[in-house]
Amino acid sequence: MPRSSTWEKVEPADWRSTIEELREKGFIFFDFLTGVDQENVDGNNACEVVAHLATKDLSNSHFVTTQVLDELPSITDLIPAAQWYERECTEMFGVKFIGGSAKPLLRHENLGRPPLRKSTVLAARVLTPWPGAAEPEIKEDGRKVGNASRRRQRPPGVPDNWLQT
Amino acid sequence: MTRYALTSDSSVSVEVVSASLACCTLELQAALNSGALTRVSEGGTGPSVIVIAGTVTDALVPSVLELIHSYPGAKVMSFGACATSGGPYWDSPPVSKGIDQFVEVTAYVAGCPPRPDAFIQAIQEISSDRVF
Amino acid sequence: MKHSFIALIEDKCTSCMLCVRECPAWCIHLDSHTVDVTEEGARRPRKVNVLDSFEIDYSLCMYCGVCIDVCPFDALAWDEHRALVTNNREDMLLGIEELGPSGSS
Repeated sequence: MPRSSTWEKVEPADWRSTIEELREKGFIFFDFLTGVDQENVDGNNACEVVAHLATKDLSNSHFVTTQVLDELPSITDLIPAAQWYERECTEMFGVKFIGGSAKPLLRHENLGRPPLRKSTVLAARVLTPWPGAAEPEIKEDGRKVGNASRRRQRPPGVPDNWLQT
Repeated sequence: MTRYALTSDSSVSVEVVSASLACCTLELQAALNSGALTRVSEGGTGPSVIVIAGTVTDALVPSVLELIHSYPGAKVMSFGACATSGGPYWDSPPVSKGIDQFVEVTAYVAGCPPRPDAFIQAIQEISSDRVF
Repeated sequence: MKHSFIALIEDKCTSCMLCVRECPAWCIHLDSHTVDVTEEGARRPRKVNVLDSFEIDYSLCMYCGVCIDVCPFDALAWDEHRALVTNNREDMLLGIEELGPSGSS
């Protein structure tokens, strides 16, 4: 484990230059690159991309993050090992890496939405009756059996406009 | 395929084929090595049991079926929530929602994962034909 | 204590639905109704929830214990029972009577 870790948030335009500078400073060990869903942060469905680099002796490490909407320049020409992670990030979070490999990694190409984005609705959650919809005076299927007036509860993970009213 | 006899009653033995697909396998291995079952080379006429332990994805279904069909007459045990219903992955598109959609299941073992003693109990029930 | 079963202590349940809504596997089903209870000296009757049915689908339950954690009345608890091995998936849906804590029956 590195003895000290630092974090830095950069603009997407500075993504490549930041990584390049870090590499010149001796952060030559590339650990990983991944995405973090930022749904509804500042009103955007953005995705944060995180890269973790460390010095060769692992004494120092540095996390670089940037918030992207859909695409980011690839760093595979600087760090070839990043290609696998960029392809994974493309498949799982839908972030395109300009200049990187577009080859699918694990999933079939263009099959459905990126699964690790919160905006990807799991249809089973819409089709399965949610047991939590019941109330003392409302049955699971929505039938009212008393003078219930409370607003019906929504199942977690399902947007309002996916549900029949 | 390995034949196991109950340590408490060596006249009862079953052949166990395990399809180790996910974490439930650890509990299964713990059960097989817990001392409650003894490995035997032969003897006993108990049935073959195919234990489906772990998450069955739609992509894996053909392989799982091939395994099951390669042991005609074997009884299928659905070990854990994933094999039984999809379990924690009940809402995940690539995961099939229970192997009983494809094959007849003789014993469902509840748990996520089931405790090793639940497996021993299932073996006892299957081998004694008490319920099944 | 083995964490091999989630038991329901029926008397403590107020049908508040918290466990049902927090369950990540959607495996708890609860049915209840309200009755008016008039207490002496009270100006108007009080609405009280009455538990009709409570079921845990052990074919889905992942034993995460979220329901036990969120229950404000400790009506759910870890138990040493075990959902029995069965050859019928529908038998894994356990109701109030089967869900009783060990020692109660």
